[in-house]
Amino acid sequence: MSMQHDAIRRGSKAALAYALALLATAFFAFPIFWMFTSSLKGDEIITAYPPVWIFAPSLQNYVKLVEDLGIMTMFINSSIIVGLSTCLAMISGTLAAYALARFDIKNKQMIAFEVLSIRMLPPIVSVVPMFILARWLGVFDTYWLLIAAYALAGLPFVVWVMRVFIQDIPQSIEEAALIDGCSRVEAFWRVTLPLLMPGLAATMVIVFMFAWNEFLLASMLTSKAAKTLPVIAANTLNAKSIAWGMASAAGVVMSLPVVVLVLLMQRYLVRGLTLGAVKG
Amino acid sequence: MSMTSISTPQVVAGADKAQRAGERHTGWLLLTPAFVLMNAVGFFPMVYSLYISLTNYNPTHGGNARFVWLDNYASALLDIQFWHAIGLTFVFVTLSVGTSLVLAVLLSLLFNLRYPGFFLLRTIILIPMLITPIAVGIVWRIMMMPDLGVLNYLLTLVGLQPLLWTSSSSTALLSIILVDIWQWTPFMFLIVFAGISALPKSPFEAAAIDGAGPIRVFFSITLPLLKPVIVIATLLRIVDAFRTYDTTFIMTRGGPDFATDLVSVYLQRINFRFFDLGYGAALSWITLLIVTIIILIFTKLSGFTRIISEKENR
Repeated sequence: MSMQHDAIRRGSKAALAYALALLATAFFAFPIFWMFTSSLKGDEIITAYPPVWIFAPSLQNYVKLVEDLGIMTMFINSSIIVGLSTCLAMISGTLAAYALARFDIKNKQMIAFEVLSIRMLPPIVSVVPMFILARWLGVFDTYWLLIAAYALAGLPFVVWVMRVFIQDIPQSIEEAALIDGCSRVEAFWRVTLPLLMPGLAATMVIVFMFAWNEFLLASMLTSKAAKTLPVIAANTLNAKSIAWGMASAAGVVMSLPVVVLVLLMQRYLVRGLTLGAVKG
Repeated sequence: MSMTSISTPQVVAGADKAQRAGERHTGWLLLTPAFVLMNAVGFFPMVYSLYISLTNYNPTHGGNARFVWLDNYASALLDIQFWHAIGLTFVFVTLSVGTSLVLAVLLSLLFNLRYPGFFLLRTIILIPMLITPIAVGIVWRIMMMPDLGVLNYLLTLVGLQPLLWTSSSSTALLSIILVDIWQWTPFMFLIVFAGISALPKSPFEAAAIDGAGPIRVFFSITLPLLKPVIVIATLLRIVDAFRTYDTTFIMTRGGPDFATDLVSVYLQRINFRFFDLGYGAALSWITLLIVTIIILIFTKLSGFTRIISEKENR
């Protein structure tokens, strides 16, 4: 009798948990579903009331993005800017992280916190001086400006996360290589670096994500030649009659690379996002 | 410090003082690229911005900038619109981060039951934080259309009154807070869930033996053990919520009637619509000061520095 009672209670607890979990998932998934389906609708279906749930999907909006808006150019701009800035942040940041983790340097802690303070700095503060200096130096609306700005923004992630990953690798492994006659560089290249690969990949995805999604600096420091995807997507809303379908399609095109990359690299996501403070 | 020098390899390799000095040079050499980047792109523009904030520089006025000392800062103190924006931002951050945190803890407890299929649902819930904020603004603007939007359709479907969402100054702020909660609860959920998964089992077993109820267990065991993780997630979220710009820019541009005029939106208007760059720089320094003070108060109250230094010394 009591066993049966227990089973009923367990069953109803599971039913309640599933109901709540599905409700939560619906709340977080619905706008994504709506963006995706809107990108396949014509504008007259998007603004139909009551909303249309079943319709003949069309790739018209994506075609218009490429043909009318020339989104390929912005896709290439974004890829070059984000790719190079990510590389720059990864290289300079990993070197610094290695120095902070392995070398006997004065004021280590202070240096680390100086790097961290970049993470705290709102871009709205740095955008004005960057705007003025960029015009003065003649780099306004070029790749270089955004590459430098995004590399800086990625730096605190790389330094802090890679420092933790490097500290996690037992120093004895490197020491053994040194005793075997490897130079410091060889020991790093042949022994430490291969072990760091998963950490590097995870950090890279996060630096990539922040640069790829960035809008404020991109919209203020470019005007034409170096326009990135978020800027052109925001521009689709400026026209007199807003092209909702095209805007949704631009949203999908922009978001897809990040969603795919991050979901593939989920393993160290928590550690990366918390700058190494929480192990995921 | 002495601990680290003992464990560095050159001691093992039997190095003398000179060699150690060489190692130190290598260390600084490795730090150089990061330092160059930080100073050229970070520090130097900031110093320059401090200088600009003491002038009346405005590129649309043609002529040269005049040094006005602290005039900009004095006008900022009397700028009602600015303090309105600061106040709104404070409300925005408090409500958004507070609600996200509560939701994240509840979701973590729920998903920690780990029924079959929960992993998939958890992965789906992560997606909003990965969507480009501009795209988030676009889709919510479509859904929140007062006459034609799907949200009002769903509200009337369950027998509720339709809302004006971002079109009315009384609901606009709450609407953009809702969007922020939607996008960033997944971020906090991800971190808090990692924290819950890593909790030790023994305190819970002890509590079960003592016969403590689930609510008691949550408040006296789970929550205290989770505190470091919660503090880190909240701090990162506060830092980012203060700079919220993209979604608000897309959805309301600060309107209607300045109801969503967050400080970043207001600064943007001063800087790039009126090109009052000297004044804008002064305002951004005041904003930075306020945000820094709030973050310092938070770190002090939450014991953040203690949490971090414990990690450092482990």
